[in-house]
Amino acid sequence: MPVWQVVLVLNVVFAVGLGLGYAGWGRRVAALDRDVDAARAQVERLERERQACAAGARAGEQQWEGRGVVRAAYPQLLIITHEEIRGLLPARTTSFRAASPTLRETVRVGDPVRFALRGTVLDDAAVVAIARW
Amino acid sequence: MRALHLATLWTHLASCALLMGAFSMVLLAGRPRAATARRWDEGVVRWAGWLVVVALGSGIVWLLARTAVFEDRPHAALEPSAVWHAVLDTWPGLVWLARHGLLVVLGVFLAIGADVAKRRNWLAARGEALLLASLALALVSASSHAAAISPGAAQAVAADVIHVLGTGVWLGGLLALALLLRATSGDAGIAGRPYAVRAARRFSRAALIAMLVLIASGVMNALAQVESFAALMGTAHGRLLLAKLAVLVPILALAVVNRTRILPAMPAPDAMRRLAVFVALEAALALILVGLAATMTLTTPARHAQPVWPLPFRLSLDVVLDVPQTRWQVMLGGQLVVVGVVALLVSLLIRRRRTPVRVGALALVVLGVGVGLEPLVVDAYPTSYRRPLVTYHAASIASGMAVYREHCAGCHGTTGAGGSLTDLRSSAIARRHAGEIFWLLSHGVAGMPRFDDRLGEAQRWDVINLIRALGAAETAKTLGWQVEPGRAWLVAPDFSVTVGPLAPTALRDHRGRRMVLLVLYSLPGSRARLNELARMYEVLWVTGVEVIAVPTHAPRDAIAELGASPPVLFPVVTDGAADIVTTYRMFAPGPHAELLIDRQGYIRAIWDDGTGAVLAQVEKLNAEKSPPPFPDDHVH
Repeated sequence: MPVWQVVLVLNVVFAVGLGLGYAGWGRRVAALDRDVDAARAQVERLERERQACAAGARAGEQQWEGRGVVRAAYPQLLIITHEEIRGLLPARTTSFRAASPTLRETVRVGDPVRFALRGTVLDDAAVVAIARW
Repeated sequence: MRALHLATLWTHLASCALLMGAFSMVLLAGRPRAATARRWDEGVVRWAGWLVVVALGSGIVWLLARTAVFEDRPHAALEPSAVWHAVLDTWPGLVWLARHGLLVVLGVFLAIGADVAKRRNWLAARGEALLLASLALALVSASSHAAAISPGAAQAVAADVIHVLGTGVWLGGLLALALLLRATSGDAGIAGRPYAVRAARRFSRAALIAMLVLIASGVMNALAQVESFAALMGTAHGRLLLAKLAVLVPILALAVVNRTRILPAMPAPDAMRRLAVFVALEAALALILVGLAATMTLTTPARHAQPVWPLPFRLSLDVVLDVPQTRWQVMLGGQLVVVGVVALLVSLLIRRRRTPVRVGALALVVLGVGVGLEPLVVDAYPTSYRRPLVTYHAASIASGMAVYREHCAGCHGTTGAGGSLTDLRSSAIARRHAGEIFWLLSHGVAGMPRFDDRLGEAQRWDVINLIRALGAAETAKTLGWQVEPGRAWLVAPDFSVTVGPLAPTALRDHRGRRMVLLVLYSLPGSRARLNELARMYEVLWVTGVEVIAVPTHAPRDAIAELGASPPVLFPVVTDGAADIVTTYRMFAPGPHAELLIDRQGYIRAIWDDGTGAVLAQVEKLNAEKSPPPFPDDHVH
C-alpha cells in the first residue's frame, strides 16, 4: 500500500475516531450529566414530598424548610428575608401566604425564624410552621 | 524533585520542538534528488525517530515528577494509583495522554520506514510526520499558564499555540539546516550544494516570518501573563522573560549576520561551513530559550505573584503635578527627544552627511532623555508595586482607624492634617503607591519610627486603607446631592450586609446589577425619612435601586426597632454596622446621610435629607450610556 494511502487512512481514522468519540462518548457524558442533575432534583423533590406526607400533607405536596428574618406579619401574609430555600427560591425577601392566621402571633417583626412551607409549587406554597431560630 | 521536573520538561519540550521543526525544514527544502541530500533527508527521519523516543521517555519521567510535586510526596512518583490519578483525573493529565498518544503514533509511523521514492509518497510521509509532531507540540498550550487565564483563555491559548509552533519551525529547522550545511560543505557533498543553498534561502525567509510571529505572540503572552512593567521587573516569572529577551539579542544578531553576509556568499564552501557553525550556535542559544521557557512554565505567573521592585528609584509623572517647577524641564527634554527622533528619520532619507546627522540626532535623544527624565525620578522601595493584602473594605478602614488613633494620631492629628507634617489627605499622598506607603510605614521615615515590629502586616494595610479613605473623604466634599453624569471617581468602600443571623452579602454583590442607596440613619430623627423610603421601596426596586439601611447607633434589634408599620422590607444591617458607619461618616457626617452608589461601585451623590429627590438622581444614572469600569478591590 503506497504511503500516501496509509496517511490518508490514518487521518481519516483520526477524524472519524474523534467524531465518533464525541458522538458516542462526549455527547453521552453531557447527557448523563443532565440526567444526574434531573435525578438529583427528583430525589430532592421526593424527599420533600415524603416529609410533607409524614406531616399530613395531601398527595403531591412538598415541604420546604427555610431560615430568615420576619420583616412584616399580617394574618394572611408573612414577609420574610430568607436564605436560599433549596428547590424553591434564592435568598431574597418574599411574602408568603400563612396557612393559619395564628401563625403571626408566634413571631414579631425582626425575629430570626425557621419556617416550613408546604405546597405543590411556589404559587400555592404556604407557611405551615414557624418558630424562633 | 523540582530540578528533575525542570530537566525532564526542558528535554521533552526541546525534543518536541526539534521534531516539529525537523519535518518543517525537510518540507521547506523539498524532495531531495542528490545522494547527499537524500542521505540528509533519511538521516533527519532517523534522527526524528530517536527524538520521539527521547520525547516519550522524558515525557514519562516528567509525568512521574509532576505527580510527586502535585501530591507533595516524592514516593508518589512510583505509586501507580497516584500516577493513574494524575493522568486520568486532571486536565493536564488528559492533555499529556493525548500528546503522548500522538507521539506514539508518530513513532510507529516513522518506524515503518515506508518507501518514499515517489514524490506523492514522500510528501505524504513528511507531511503526516509534521502534522503529528505539530499537534503533539501545540497541545502543550492546552495545559499551560495561558489555559488558566480567565476571561480570555481562548485568545491566550491561541497566542501560545502560535508561539509554540513558531518556536518549533525556527528551532527544529535550525538544527536540521546545520546538519544539511555540514553534509554539503565538504567535497563529498558538492552535488547537494544547490539543494542546500535553496533550503537555506527558503528557511531564511520562513525563519524571518517565524521570528516575527514569535515576537508578536510573545508580546501577547506577556501582556496576558505579566500585565505590568513592575511585574516584569519584580517577579521571578518576569525576570525569566527578561532573560529570554537577553538571549534573543545575540540570536537576532547572528540571524542578521547569516541573512545579510553569509547567505549571499553561498554556495562557497567557506560560507557554507561558517553558516553551519553560526546556525548551530543559534540553535544552541535557542535551546537555552526553551530551557528558560520551561522554567517559566514551572514558575508562578507574574500576574499572580507579588512584585519586588529591584531598583532604588522609579519614574513618576506625578512629580509634574506635585512640583510644578519641574514642568519646563520635562517639556524641554521631551522636545529634544522629538527633534532628535525627527533628525534620525531625516538621516534615513539623506545621503550626504548622514553620519554626523545621525550622531547629532542620537546625542539629542540621549540629552533629551537625560534632561526630561531626571526630574521624574523618585525614590522606590521593594514593596513599591506590592498589592495590598486586604481589600478596600469598611471593616479594614474601621480597623485602620483604631490603629491610627492609637499609634498615629498623636503626630498626624485625628483627621490626618498633621500640623507641620505631611497632610495625609493631600493629593500628593493619594498619588503615592500604596506599596510605598507600606514600606515607609513598615521601616519608618525621617522622624517617624518603624511599625513593622509593632503592627502586623494586615494592620499596616488597614492603616493604608484608612489613609486612602481620608484622602477620598477630603475630595468627597466636592460631591453634591446631584449626580453629575459621566463623572464617577469616588470609589465606595465595600462592606458586609448582615441581616439577622442570615449569611452576609456584600456591597460588591450588587455591582453590574443594582444601584445602592446607602442610608445611615438615627432614630428618632430619621423615622419620617425611613417611612418614606419604606413606602417608595417598590418603586425604587423597579428603577434598579436596592436600599441598604445602616443604624448609626448599631443595635442588634434594629429591624424590630423600626416597627411593623409601614413595613420596612429593604435590608437593615444588624451586625457590623459600626464599621460601615465609621467609614461612611468620613464621606457623609451627620446623624442621617444617604449615599447613592452606582452599579459600578462609585459614590455618585450624597445628601443628608430627602431633598435629594432620589428618583431624579436614579433617573440620571439609568440614562448613562457608557458606565465606567469596575473599581479595583484594592487601593493602589
